[in-house]
Amino acid sequence: MLDRQNYLNVKLFLKYSRVVHGRSSLQISNDFEHLKSLLLWAGSQPFGSVPTINTSLFDFLIQKAVNGLDQAELQSILNTNQRFLLWVKAMFPVEFQNIRLSWIIKISAIMEGKEVII
Amino acid sequence: MSENQNSSNCRISRNVLIKAPGLLPMLYTPREIAEDLDVPETTLRDWLNHGAPHSRDESNHIWIDGKQFAAWVDNQRNARKKPTHPLQVGEGFCMRCNTIVKIQNGEIRPVKGNLSHLKGKCPICGGIVNRGIWNAGSSELPQC
Repeated sequence: MLDRQNYLNVKLFLKYSRVVHGRSSLQISNDFEHLKSLLLWAGSQPFGSVPTINTSLFDFLIQKAVNGLDQAELQSILNTNQRFLLWVKAMFPVEFQNIRLSWIIKISAIMEGKEVII
Repeated sequence: MSENQNSSNCRISRNVLIKAPGLLPMLYTPREIAEDLDVPETTLRDWLNHGAPHSRDESNHIWIDGKQFAAWVDNQRNARKKPTHPLQVGEGFCMRCNTIVKIQNGEIRPVKGNLSHLKGKCPICGGIVNRGIWNAGSSELPQC
């Protein structure tokens, strides 16, 4: 079973994106599909403790991508997840104090092959 | 938690059939699942009354497991499919009896190419039964 609070945070982020950033319903729907992978990866663990998960999000997506995920789609998923984690850390700094900014930036940098030095 | 299930067929829209497999393995409230599937909450509560899997906690709040609900939606789709009975060799559909019968005294007449016409009698009412057959051979004629 997935952590319900994670799901509620994702829903809150989608609502925020719609109301504040004016993202379209199609974009919201795509974002939700991308964030589902983050929810499945976190499983029953709250987002606040995800850096302790052994498998990285990138590896999880690669394992899941047996049925074909191209590089652009993978990058898009990682970018959405990064955007969500940055937002959640900004909105709830106390609950998500365990998530380091460097860790969040590393999420999509892995795909781009960049070296992260913070 | 208690389960409440009355098996009954519900009309499920195509939109829900497409979206239901995307439900996550977690407990949803009726409102959340209605939002995710883009259906009115009243419709969802109607499905719950018609046997959709759900449970209630000690405060009598309804919880729906996403994966169980997706499986139920899939079952509903399969339940609505009508069973088919392909015609066997020498069989035809009698329009008068409204049933599949073994054709008696069958005669095969070529129509065009591999298509032939099988005409015989119904063993029940004695009426004429017609059937189009492809690649007609002697095996199409019933042994009677």
